[in-house]
Amino acid sequence: MPVEVKEEKKAKSGRREALWAVAFLLAAALLLHLAAAVLRPLHMNYGSTWEQYLAEPKDSIDVLFLGSSYAYCDWNPGVMYDESGLTGYVMGGSEQTPAITYWYLKEALKTQSPTVVVMEASSLFFDRYRNYTQINLGYMPWGMNRVRAILECAEPDKKLGLFFDLYFYHDRWKELTAADVEKIFPAGADHLKGHTAVDQVFPALEYSQEPFLNELTQSEEVCRENLEDFARIAQLCREEGIDLIVTVNPTYSQYPQAVYDELETAVTANEGVRFLDWRSGFDQMGLDVSKHLYDGGHLNQDGAQIFSAYTGKFLRELGYEPRPQTEENEAAWEETAAYWRTMAAQ
Amino acid sequence: MGFLSPSYFLFFPIAALVYFLLPQRVRNMWLLGCSWFFYLCAGREYFLFLLATVLLTYFAAQALEKGRRRGLLVGTLCLFVGALVVFKYLGFGLSLLTQLLAALGLDWSPVVPKLLLPAGISFYFFTAMGYLIDVYRGKCPAERSFVKCALFLSFFPYLLSGPIGRGPELLPQFDSLHKLNYVNLKEGLLRFLWGAFKKLVLADRLAVVVDTVFAAPQNYGALQVILAACAFSIQIYCDFSAYSDMAVGSAKAMGFDLIENFRTPYFSRSIAEFWRRWHISLSSWFRDYLYIPLGGSRRGVGRKYLNILIVFAVSGLWHGAALSFLVWGLLNGLYQVVGSLMEKPRRALRGAVRLGEDSKLLALWQMAWVFGLATIAWVFFEAGTVSGALTVLGNMVKPVLWDAGGLTAMGMDKLEFLAAVAGLLLLTAVDAVSQYTDVTRRVLEAPRWVRWCVYLGLLMVVVIFGSYGTGYDAQDFIYGQF
Repeated sequence: MPVEVKEEKKAKSGRREALWAVAFLLAAALLLHLAAAVLRPLHMNYGSTWEQYLAEPKDSIDVLFLGSSYAYCDWNPGVMYDESGLTGYVMGGSEQTPAITYWYLKEALKTQSPTVVVMEASSLFFDRYRNYTQINLGYMPWGMNRVRAILECAEPDKKLGLFFDLYFYHDRWKELTAADVEKIFPAGADHLKGHTAVDQVFPALEYSQEPFLNELTQSEEVCRENLEDFARIAQLCREEGIDLIVTVNPTYSQYPQAVYDELETAVTANEGVRFLDWRSGFDQMGLDVSKHLYDGGHLNQDGAQIFSAYTGKFLRELGYEPRPQTEENEAAWEETAAYWRTMAAQ
Repeated sequence: MGFLSPSYFLFFPIAALVYFLLPQRVRNMWLLGCSWFFYLCAGREYFLFLLATVLLTYFAAQALEKGRRRGLLVGTLCLFVGALVVFKYLGFGLSLLTQLLAALGLDWSPVVPKLLLPAGISFYFFTAMGYLIDVYRGKCPAERSFVKCALFLSFFPYLLSGPIGRGPELLPQFDSLHKLNYVNLKEGLLRFLWGAFKKLVLADRLAVVVDTVFAAPQNYGALQVILAACAFSIQIYCDFSAYSDMAVGSAKAMGFDLIENFRTPYFSRSIAEFWRRWHISLSSWFRDYLYIPLGGSRRGVGRKYLNILIVFAVSGLWHGAALSFLVWGLLNGLYQVVGSLMEKPRRALRGAVRLGEDSKLLALWQMAWVFGLATIAWVFFEAGTVSGALTVLGNMVKPVLWDAGGLTAMGMDKLEFLAAVAGLLLLTAVDAVSQYTDVTRRVLEAPRWVRWCVYLGLLMVVVIFGSYGTGYDAQDFIYGQF
């Protein structure tokens, strides 16, 4: 066989092997991805419900709620829709810091173009790292936003697991059920729309009717960093033509007035940001502190129904109009509204 | 930077890829840079020890080649041994002396200085000493290139925990042009993956039981203590051979062949055979540079047995500065001496009961016997102190066989236990097959779908059933401390 033919054969075989190697790496990546999808715990509430969020029809959300647990406990988009016709979704996470919220917003805007973003403010007093980074970032869809969020916001000891989540969850092989395998297939949209309904009533309020006054323990540097992250959120909203409202939700877990005064000044220093202090608006909204608080801080599901209806009405009064929806999506929202009406009636 | 750390997974591909991309003349320099970086990651404060070892070895080898100066060799070896004694054994030696004086009624409590124990010092000192002896004996020329000599002493796959390299085998490999070879790469990575399986799925899983029971053997029944001791025998094999697999695999992926450190030692039919198949690079080092110079078996039976005991006592102390390691070494030496003394009567007994030497039953019995003897010795290795080991051994023969609480009380639930058993069955099957054939080769030569099933299956077993990540206490390699 001539040397050229031999060389050509060798080169061809080399290329073929290289292709097989790439195919092998892809197969390995796919298997690891599937294993991670099965072993990662099912996550349907308490924030970071990205799978359900991504199942919402593109550009169908009017109001995007952001923030920490206050956001997903206090706002029920289904009830808000029933009251105002505005569609909404809560894309918050437990103890979510403003830095993570920024990346949430960036990711959320890939599929939705809300008219207004409503951000609950408690996270602006958070430390740099909180307890739920693993959940908040671990359920984000893969992409540059997740990568940058991990690099920027995750505790050093969490980064490895957030990049390779079998590190966190591989030992769940001992507790796998059929439901774990089923979740390989993406979840559809649900009636929760990012809301988490909690049904307990905080008993202490039966005896005490005064808000709990907390001291702000975070350093100035931490607060400044949080405000810098908030400024990025505000900037992103401006760039995307989205209004931004910052709220302090009705709560009995409060800071001294001066803290909120400073917060208002800092937040509204960002162009176009509206600040709403609803901290003590219980009576005005029809909330009863002895019935509608879950733990003194968050609203329970009955409180959330009242507050969400109020928010919807308030937003309509500000001039926000529901966008046209497809027939199918409108029917889905009506079904969601009916679901919550039924829940409220029970 | 352990072999199973994310930093190694980043470091190794870069080191290997750049190595293949660079021209031949700078490749050794690159590998040396990588190896020194690898060592710096183990502790910056250790680096000077490595550098001093390299400089001393390089210049001593040059001088030894110019003339066979026995004094120079002895002086250099004394420097190495002296440094080991100071850094590794000073505290142990002083404590022994204190106890001895106290026994004589003398009260002396010296202040023991806290000295660094550089990572891998026992390994690279032995590499250096072996090389110098080889140069002195004319078995290998002194390496002219400083970079190559430094790389030979510092090559990252074996720098921290071996296999202990030999000049005649390794130095020529740093001259060869290693092209990126797909077969080598696959073989290396498969070896690495197999090592990861042994370490993460077996060794670290068994470590939980071993640590729990050895911490309080009195709380467990005799069978549980025996089970834990057996688990340690398997743990240490899986742990150390895993390290060697990953070292050999990393080197192989770059085209280098390192000495095999293990050849399924628990399939040995005698303790002497066990030591020819366990930590081969160290056993053969002691054979070539200590046992044979002591006279080996050439000076009569009595001297041979004495030499064996000396070698095993030194080997025990090489592993750690504690009486328990010394006892462990001596016990292994004693097994060999007694085994040798009893050889004739045992043969006679086998002949009397008509048990052929190639009988499978005999082979199984002998393997079980070797495993049992090794396990008793390992108790001294793991317990840390002689009294601790005696407590463990004492609890193996108490009347209570199984204490309440079962596996859970031993730190392992039922599913973890099943995972360990399944892993052990796989390991045993692979080790058994490897008695007759080169398993890695067989896999590499199998049809593509079989290869893929093996690679992907093993990968998934390691990532799912491995002991790592949140909720696991990452275990260092046991031999990392030597």
